[in-house]
Amino acid sequence: MINNKPRIAIYDFTDCEGCETKLVSLREKLLLLEKKVDIVNWRLGQEYFEAGPYDITIIEGAPITRHEVDLLKELRENSKILIALGACAALGGIPAIMPEKDRKYWYEKIYTSQYAPRGIDAVPLSAYVKVDFSIHGCPIDENEAVRAVEELLAGKTPSYRGYSVCFECKQAGNPCRLLENKPCLGPITQGGCGAICVSGGSPCYGCFGIRDEANIPALRKILEKFADEKEIERYFSMFHSRTEDFNKNKEK
Amino acid sequence: MDNIYLPQKVKITKIDEQSSTVKLFRFSPIEPSAFKKNDNDLVFNPGQFVLVGEIGYGEAPFGPLSSPYEAEYMEIAVRKAGAVTNYLHSLKNGDEITMRGPYGNGFPLDFIQGKDMVMITGGCGIPPIAALVEYVIKNREKFGRIYVLYGARTPDEILLKEKIEEWKNFGIKSIITIDKPAPGWTGPVGFVSDLVKEIEIDEANAVATMCGPGPMMDALEKILRPLGISDRRIFVSMERKMQCGVGKCQHCVTGDKYVCMDGPVFYYDEIEKNHD
Amino acid sequence: MMLVINDKNLEVFIEKLKEKFDFFDIRNDKLPFKKYFFPPVQEIFTRNPLSKSKTSDLKTAKTPAKFVLFGLNLPQLEALTQLDEIMQKPNEDFFYFQNRKQSIVIGLIDVEIDAMPGGDIIFQKIGEGKYKVWAENAKSKQIIKENKVFFEEIEDEEIESARSFELSEGAEWSKTMRELLADSENLANAVAWSHGHKIWDELAEKCLGCGICTYVCPLCHCFSIEDRVGLDDKCSRCRKWDSCVLPSFSRIAGGHSFRPTIKERYYNWFYHKFVRAYREFGKSQCVGCGACKKNCPAGIDIQEILKTILEDYKKVMSDV
Repeated sequence: MINNKPRIAIYDFTDCEGCETKLVSLREKLLLLEKKVDIVNWRLGQEYFEAGPYDITIIEGAPITRHEVDLLKELRENSKILIALGACAALGGIPAIMPEKDRKYWYEKIYTSQYAPRGIDAVPLSAYVKVDFSIHGCPIDENEAVRAVEELLAGKTPSYRGYSVCFECKQAGNPCRLLENKPCLGPITQGGCGAICVSGGSPCYGCFGIRDEANIPALRKILEKFADEKEIERYFSMFHSRTEDFNKNKEK
Repeated sequence: MDNIYLPQKVKITKIDEQSSTVKLFRFSPIEPSAFKKNDNDLVFNPGQFVLVGEIGYGEAPFGPLSSPYEAEYMEIAVRKAGAVTNYLHSLKNGDEITMRGPYGNGFPLDFIQGKDMVMITGGCGIPPIAALVEYVIKNREKFGRIYVLYGARTPDEILLKEKIEEWKNFGIKSIITIDKPAPGWTGPVGFVSDLVKEIEIDEANAVATMCGPGPMMDALEKILRPLGISDRRIFVSMERKMQCGVGKCQHCVTGDKYVCMDGPVFYYDEIEKNHD
Repeated sequence: MMLVINDKNLEVFIEKLKEKFDFFDIRNDKLPFKKYFFPPVQEIFTRNPLSKSKTSDLKTAKTPAKFVLFGLNLPQLEALTQLDEIMQKPNEDFFYFQNRKQSIVIGLIDVEIDAMPGGDIIFQKIGEGKYKVWAENAKSKQIIKENKVFFEEIEDEEIESARSFELSEGAEWSKTMRELLADSENLANAVAWSHGHKIWDELAEKCLGCGICTYVCPLCHCFSIEDRVGLDDKCSRCRKWDSCVLPSFSRIAGGHSFRPTIKERYYNWFYHKFVRAYREFGKSQCVGCGACKKNCPAGIDIQEILKTILEDYKKVMSDV
């Protein structure tokens, strides 16, 4: 690591703060972390704020206002390592489900044409700046967040899970949803979540991001057996339709 | 029951910075005081590898570059490239690390005796070749003419300069090339056909040994083929993803071969047509 | 004379075993029995460093208490015997046998056998509520001796007529598969020949590369080693199932992959099972259990693939 005790800042843009809450839920592990790093700027968790530069900046949420975009660029300049925390920062997440065009329609419909929105398009951090690592999930898995920080502190490059959700899903003892003709994005999604959604009876919407070299057309073919085009799009648009990894792999 | 995954502790006794990214580490066993010798009365066969690292950081394969007759210590060259090598670079003299091995086959010491030998290496592939040179030096009368062709990316990245200088005293001719022209460099650039003129061997009684990435194929086409050394007499040390080192994890497999067990040294014609 | 047990006594016997040992009934497991010997994730070494530089306190994973694995069927028993062999050669896998040696494996089968295919005790269904008991090693004989009230010795002939059993789900598939596997040399030759066959292109389009087939296979045994330095400074080394169909499997530091496409990786999976396994161990690393077919979300059926290859291979060979 860069300093003996690296300076960490945790920022949030537009989101639900659920991922930061997951960090707070680390409780005693946060105290262990405090021995290794100085968290010098965390709006949600602290009362004092130190200005940059920072060794590591962790950002939650999607930048959707001009102000947030400018702050993001400034943080990038001031940070040695920039980490996206959670699906909104890493993939665009919930704010990005709706494309700009549809958003305009609803603005008018709900708030009338007099409304002047501050928001511009919702896209991942990586649309504006270089992101060194993404801690995935909606919300994140706090143990995966710890793992990323541990790897950085040990002088390693944080690593992504190279396997699909299926590995952890099988360990959890779940029956395969796809074999039961229920939609699931597990096979094309990175593991690390412990298959928490499938274990709880939900489909996997892919919040951990597209797995390396995922075969999206093959999954689409399976989904087409029991879901119509619109439903499939709904699944893919939840976290993926607007990410680079998805668009790179969606066609052969 | 022996535990094939349990490493032995070793202590770093010397660290030498070779270039901006490469450090040479010498380490010695903590207990017992010397490394065990094999049937050839060597600590390892040149071309074999050891897995060096630390619990928490991982293990990586390295071909020792020290003399295989040296039982007090081994030396490896470590290029900063990943978790294990970054960790090793952060250590200092006296620190403890772990080691497993030596593993694999090594160069065929019986077969190469009595022959002329062309050794070709590039980048960080020089350690096993250096160990082989040390073996040759100790058994000089059993070998014919020996050439070492060593390709580095830049003059800064040439490793083991002092050793290479010493080898001259034992009639070992080294030719160092760099990949691209550099200011102040007067030596050859790339493994070019011209180098063939500097090598005199008895092609009917010559072997070649190779280790390293990059320009190796060039060397084969432009130098070994014109010299008339047949594929059956070319021994190549292969690189694959290596994890367990003992034929279990399946990462290093190519065709029917385990690089960790059957290799890392293969006849060139044995692997040429392998699919991965 | 043969040893038999009826189903009521079998239940009581099992209860007795549960009192004495950890007991796992594998029949409803999603992952194969291998996980009890070779867990999906296992911490194999840990150390608590006094300082960064000392390799102090290296601890090896603890040996578990003795345990019973219950309910292996015929292909699973065969797979166990084969996995033991794989883990034995050329170097004994310490962590596999550390668990394996603590196990008492009980098979439950409904087909005819001439000899024990594997495991310590086998209950072979020979009629309504009746099982023939196979137990040949000292460990299993001892357990039966301790519980002899539940067992009964009868004349061999008595069961001949009572022997009838129903085919379980997938039995037909397994039967065909096992016929193909009987000539593993031919399979090896055909799969080796098939490199470049268009079927691998078709599979590359279909396969999700999720790795499920390798996880549910009782014989797949690839793994990765992962190290971790915890926030509490505890350092550990884990071994974790890996899958050769995943892109990271043969990728080295720097990003180069020796099998860059799913087509190459999927073929490698077949090559290992049917070609390299044959050359290394004299038989395919497949027991025809059908788990890969049953669990593949893309519906890939390895038997269909093998049949296609075998057919084309046969044609080509007869043309020569």
